[in-house]
Amino acid sequence: MPLKKAKDLSSLLPDTGLMDRLLTDKHRAVRRSVRAFCESELRPIAAEIDEEARFPWEVVEKMAALGYFGIQVPASLGGAGLDSVSYAITIEEISRVCGALGLCVAVHNSVAVHPLMAFGSEAQKQRWVRPMARGEKIGAFCLTEPNAGSDAAAVSATAIPGEGGFTINANKVFVTNGGVADVCLIFARTAPSAGRKGISVLVAERGTPGFVVGELENLCGMRANPVGSIRLNDCRVPLDNLLGREGGGLTIGLAALDVGRVGVAAQAVGIAQAALEEAVQYAKQRRTFGVALQGHQAIQMMIAEMATRVEAARLLVYRAAELKDRRMEFTKESAMCKLFASEAACRVTDAAVQIHGGYGYSKAYAVERYYRDARVTRIYEGTSEIHKMVIAREVLQGT
Amino acid sequence: MKPHIVVCIKAVVVKTVRGRIVRTPDLLRLNPFDLPAIEAALQLKAQCEGTLTVLSMGPPSSRIVMAEALAMGADRAVLACDRRLAGADTLATSTALAAALQKLAPYQLVLFGIRSSDSDTGQVGPQTAAALDLPLVSGVHRIELRPGGLRVERTMDHWVETFEVEFPAALTIRPEAARPRHIPLGGLSEAFDQREVELFTAAELGVSLNRVGEAGSPTRVISIKPITHERRCRLLAGEAAEVADQLMEQLLAEGLVD
Repeated sequence: MPLKKAKDLSSLLPDTGLMDRLLTDKHRAVRRSVRAFCESELRPIAAEIDEEARFPWEVVEKMAALGYFGIQVPASLGGAGLDSVSYAITIEEISRVCGALGLCVAVHNSVAVHPLMAFGSEAQKQRWVRPMARGEKIGAFCLTEPNAGSDAAAVSATAIPGEGGFTINANKVFVTNGGVADVCLIFARTAPSAGRKGISVLVAERGTPGFVVGELENLCGMRANPVGSIRLNDCRVPLDNLLGREGGGLTIGLAALDVGRVGVAAQAVGIAQAALEEAVQYAKQRRTFGVALQGHQAIQMMIAEMATRVEAARLLVYRAAELKDRRMEFTKESAMCKLFASEAACRVTDAAVQIHGGYGYSKAYAVERYYRDARVTRIYEGTSEIHKMVIAREVLQGT
Repeated sequence: MKPHIVVCIKAVVVKTVRGRIVRTPDLLRLNPFDLPAIEAALQLKAQCEGTLTVLSMGPPSSRIVMAEALAMGADRAVLACDRRLAGADTLATSTALAAALQKLAPYQLVLFGIRSSDSDTGQVGPQTAAALDLPLVSGVHRIELRPGGLRVERTMDHWVETFEVEFPAALTIRPEAARPRHIPLGGLSEAFDQREVELFTAAELGVSLNRVGEAGSPTRVISIKPITHERRCRLLAGEAAEVADQLMEQLLAEGLVD
């Protein structure tokens, strides 16, 4: 039977120590409000929606009403008008309770809303960003295909320009939010022979003839997120649905991923934080060889390493977000925070399972879910290996 | 006239640092017992198209909880903030709040949480009402708007008491009265970036300085120490009937049953 949770975990709250000077009161208030919401609305169903692989519309609608789907969208377009650090904190706090919903909110805000804000015309913002900021429409980023993912330039989807619009044919897989998305950013070749420069981004909306939502994936973790395939069969969209310029798809994709990585890194920090809290709690309550687990040096070593990894990952995430807020170059820092935080999340959740022993391998304990949810953070939005390539390129070219 | 509602709130301390009270923003929270009072006020405000002011006394770090109240929907936030107000007990706090309320007049209704989660006296609401000569209903769990006043309910010794009160009046609110809303992100953004927390100094309160702060406090906290309850486990052995007898003997011996 799961042990009772003790009340005081304040020594583990992230806004202690050095972070006090890095965060503003607004950031603190954002963390508190999101934490309070997630603890009361999401915590009670987090294990159940994972088990049932169910997207919890009842909570999503409440999140939408609180502005979680337009975190950085200006108030003039119906958003919350917050900065990137607030965005990272929000994703971290949702993921601390439920990785799958942290993923939903992160992807919607970062790789769907952000590119529309950064590259969209005023009319496109009014048309798509406004309802998306209110959570009336959910966004998705459709780059990955059966034979293209990290190798983004290999996409084979086509969007052939014609009279008054584009005809899209695409088979997009592993689309986060795929089962519920209304506004999809489709990466497709508008000039099939032009190589990397022939890729563009088209907006396709659910309900358009030829827009087909495929089967959902049966995933190891993040199970409450409806990840699935989206197929476009001779789907016609008007010229106005071209985002940015024709052939500018990879530029939009890379810019979106710089932002998206910070979101995934924040997810990883949230999951790792949750695992650390559970492990500390368990180490205080479980007794072996006549003492609580926390009395064993082997456990202390693990806790120390876990806490250090979580804190280091968090600092890297906030730093990347801060650089973006200052409109500074942050490709390297974004890749670093994503690489480090996702690897940290896997190690920390693994250690949390180890501290729980056999119980950690049981669905009766939350660390089992955290362990599964953490794993994909090393894969999506660019694998750890791709990020090492990005970091190495930035470091070697920058010196 | 549109009713003006004032909710008195407190930034409570959630943790001590090596046994000392430190009021930095990361260690302060909006008193959880004030949240239902704010929610009740917001609901009344919506019904009667009134205005809502939140009032507190505390150091500048209390601004974070005032901003949270603004984000929930308060129209105005006022903080009585002055070193000369520091070290106040409940009486001096009530004196300062009453003086601030006089500056905020006219008001029709003043609400308080039933108590605070840190010092937990439940005295500030009733004392402030007394200082202002306002009729008070304490421990209210239900509020209904009536022309020129309210009908309110509270539970006392398993009896429900119903009162009709005319404005102006004061209430202390039990948590059952209203389930507080969650704070919207856009509200926080606006509260921190566009709204201000107004500050009242001790001089502006227009009250004698020997009646507020440490100087105006007849009581003092000498020391604070945590109480630890020791738990013991004793295993009783034998047949069920014997164990039951042993258990009864033990409970009788310790005077826990009779």
